[in-house]
Amino acid sequence: MLKDKHLTVTVSPHIKTSLTTERMMWIVSAALIPAAGAGIYFFGPHAALVIAVCVGASIITELFCAVLMKKPATIKDGSAFLTGLLLALCLPPEFPLWMCALGSFFSIAVSKFAFGGLGHNIFNPALAGRAFLMGAFAKEMTTWKTLQDFPDGITAATPLNLLKEQGYDSLMKVFDSHSHLFKELFIGRVGGSIGETSAALLIIGGLILIFARVTTWHIPVSYILTVIIVSYFTGGLFDIPFHLFTGGLMLGAFFMATDPVTSPITPKGQIIFGIGCGLFTMLIRIRGGYPEGVCYAILLMNSVTPLIERFSKTRIFGVKR
Amino acid sequence: MKARVTFKGGIHPPENKGLCGELSIKDFPPPETAVLPLQQSLGSASEPVVKKGDKVKKGTLIARSKGYISSNLHSSVSGEVIDIRKSPHPLLGEANAIIIKSDNRDEPERDYSAEEASADSLSSGEILELIQNAGIVGLGGATFPAHVKLNPPADKPIKTFIINGAECEPYLTSDHSLMLECADRILKGAALIKKMLKAEKCLIAIEENKKDAIALFRQKIIQLKNAEGLQVFPLKVKYPQGAEKQLIYTLTGKEVPSGGLPMDVSVLVHNIGTVFAVYEAVFLRKPLFERIVTVSGKGIKNPANWRVRIGTTFKMLVNHSGLADKKIKKLIMGGPMMGLAQYTDEVPVVKATSGILVLTSDEAADFEHLACIRCGKCVSVCPMGLMPAEISKMVEKGRIDTAKSIGLMDCMECGSCNYICPSGTNLLQYIKLGKYEYLRSKNVKR
Amino acid sequence: MGQEETNNTGYFKELSKGFIRENPIFILCLGLCPTLAVSNLVENAFGMGIAFFFVLLCSNITISLVQKLIPDEVRIPCFIVIIAAFVTVASLLMQWLIPDVYARMSLYINLIVVNCIILGRAEAFASKNNVFRSALDAVGMGVGFTASLFIISAIREVTGFGTFLGFRLIPENIKPITIMILAPGAFFTIGFLMALFNLIRIKKGKVSK
Repeated sequence: MLKDKHLTVTVSPHIKTSLTTERMMWIVSAALIPAAGAGIYFFGPHAALVIAVCVGASIITELFCAVLMKKPATIKDGSAFLTGLLLALCLPPEFPLWMCALGSFFSIAVSKFAFGGLGHNIFNPALAGRAFLMGAFAKEMTTWKTLQDFPDGITAATPLNLLKEQGYDSLMKVFDSHSHLFKELFIGRVGGSIGETSAALLIIGGLILIFARVTTWHIPVSYILTVIIVSYFTGGLFDIPFHLFTGGLMLGAFFMATDPVTSPITPKGQIIFGIGCGLFTMLIRIRGGYPEGVCYAILLMNSVTPLIERFSKTRIFGVKR
Repeated sequence: MKARVTFKGGIHPPENKGLCGELSIKDFPPPETAVLPLQQSLGSASEPVVKKGDKVKKGTLIARSKGYISSNLHSSVSGEVIDIRKSPHPLLGEANAIIIKSDNRDEPERDYSAEEASADSLSSGEILELIQNAGIVGLGGATFPAHVKLNPPADKPIKTFIINGAECEPYLTSDHSLMLECADRILKGAALIKKMLKAEKCLIAIEENKKDAIALFRQKIIQLKNAEGLQVFPLKVKYPQGAEKQLIYTLTGKEVPSGGLPMDVSVLVHNIGTVFAVYEAVFLRKPLFERIVTVSGKGIKNPANWRVRIGTTFKMLVNHSGLADKKIKKLIMGGPMMGLAQYTDEVPVVKATSGILVLTSDEAADFEHLACIRCGKCVSVCPMGLMPAEISKMVEKGRIDTAKSIGLMDCMECGSCNYICPSGTNLLQYIKLGKYEYLRSKNVKR
Repeated sequence: MGQEETNNTGYFKELSKGFIRENPIFILCLGLCPTLAVSNLVENAFGMGIAFFFVLLCSNITISLVQKLIPDEVRIPCFIVIIAAFVTVASLLMQWLIPDVYARMSLYINLIVVNCIILGRAEAFASKNNVFRSALDAVGMGVGFTASLFIISAIREVTGFGTFLGFRLIPENIKPITIMILAPGAFFTIGFLMALFNLIRIKKGKVSK
């Protein structure tokens, strides 16, 4: 008899998707594991320590802030874990551990909780943490590990660094040929941050995200296409793979720019956002003072997200423009 | 304007349509006591024409429509009127209802099995009158009186008549089983309405998950002699494909203007069940006193489609089907996306009841409200092109006017946004609240 | 300016309001530009604070003395002339007494002329109240400002340079956080201190309720 049962009365709908925020966060984290693994494989155990410290510090900071703000601690939603992991992946492999912890603290406490916690932050916490560390410890942030099997031991720089500081010829001198350079870039055996070097694994992770419907294609595709177009017109055909596979572009396009909280909610807005990220990235790489621009490009576009949303409203069905 | 593959947005919830097993319609025994609420359609409640103690037969008129948008009500059993009192109502909570005690003879007012030969020669006016007398309302759930809808103003001629057999709500299979069992009669009804409206085309829209129904109708149309303009249109399986505006867009490429009606784009849509009811009213002179109801959900032991008399309580149906030995959480009238959760099983089947679901705690979701992470999924699934997250935030902050300006009143409450939201935000609840508040404030201003 | 407010506040309250309740930086959010600029070293902050204190005290007293003589329509230019006079005095004194500090921050000393705290006190307080109250107000605000600068600069110098007033507090081998002595560091510090001040105010409000 239904009479003995307690009937719940709510408004419709009565069913919901199984893809919850929590599951989304863990899928993103899982999609990053290959790239993180490659980072540890290429750069050695210290990279693993950096990742562990960042993740640990993020979770502890989240707990601390939640207690301080008298909010329920939401560690299991995975957002703190993901922020820590993302931050670690865009740090140099030999980065001092206490600085990692400080960066994680900044990511969670300042760029997330100071704005009201999950869902309210303006800037991508991981990238804000990286920008903070860049401002605080510029030297450590640009000290790259020399890979053992590098053609010669002279370089401790990323390919983008080499290009910016010593020019195209020295880049060619290190890597012999275009094809060799592109191969190394694609696989990830070049200097760089822990998780950003292996373009191949990052693309695999990104595709997982899109097929698991965690994110849509709009931002990564518009971002990458913009980079392709700009690099073709500023450099030429050989510049396209170089700009695509160097630096944090793949990490940024698939994992950072697609952060739902800090990107526009409308598909049209997301495309504008992606194009903006691409333009700023290339502007900084080609004309700017830094060799790499992904981080600042995304942070800049984060700040104009509300504006983009205002101009990219969806068209209501049955309403003519 | 051309037909489209589908509309923009929408979701793919688990269908769960297989629960009912083979699709056949079983006759549910007439109830001992029928509870017939006077409010069976949109608009005003009908006015009783019987009083306590009156003897009625199956199909006897017991309440007459009052006003333009209202409908007739007929007894669903033979017996005696024992009371007219307030009783539970699945849509309104509580409303006046005529209570009829059955004499178990199930005596009909007239013979409803023989087809009237004269039906083909009736004029439009006569057909409309028959439909009105039979108390037919939209059986898809909106319950708009059919005779009003079938009588569009002269300046809005209907070119395309669409029969909605999409049945995009999960679990429900009542329309599907009706299509399989009564294809011939549905086609007769369709031809009648098409002729009456002088429509150029009559499209029967069926979702592709009902392949047997599509094939059956195609075959029947080929066999038909006078099948000009009659066509089956398979639809992509997607919720809410059966929503009127989305259906019209898919079939004709036309968008019903915001705040407008289908007749503004020369289209009229009727549910498959309504067309069948029209057939019965015109050819069999049978008033609407029974309908097909899906009784399903994982809390039901033997899910099935029943031909149920209006006024049968949910309790009888649920008990007859048996409760599964699971943790029961919700009793719902309608589908899981748009249906109404009931607080008691004493509510009767009304003309709007397309299904009764008993959901277990595994099926029915717990919506714990986490912070919106602005993922934009609600925007991409909204079939009306709205930004549900923004609207619900505005309502939450009490800014009803802002919410209105970004499309609050365009929402058709399909619940897609609420279904897809990873944070479990009760978007639809806020939107419904906002609509209510907006209408209230408008009435106050007047 | 039209209506004269009767001011019955106690003298001590007049003095202490600048410390926390109406702290010019953390509560009123005034004078943030010089705060951002000179708060990277405690020494600079002290120099700025003293010069500011001097100018504020003198201008508040002077303005309250001559308030009846100043026509309403041109009061702002008059205030600025008076303030500018004392700024000149202060800058000449500093040039003589502490030339090192002055060399580093002469620009900001001169910019005290248009400091919104001083102008704000002149407009909102000194031109409506008597000399004694104005002086108390100036002392309160001056102490509040200087103390705030001191707190901010202490945090920024220790974290950003690893020193305090030039003395090394944190060993050389631990890297100082460079960003703290840059403009963003000032924003972070002020932001967190503002939150702290608000917390204190909320707590106090609760107690009084």
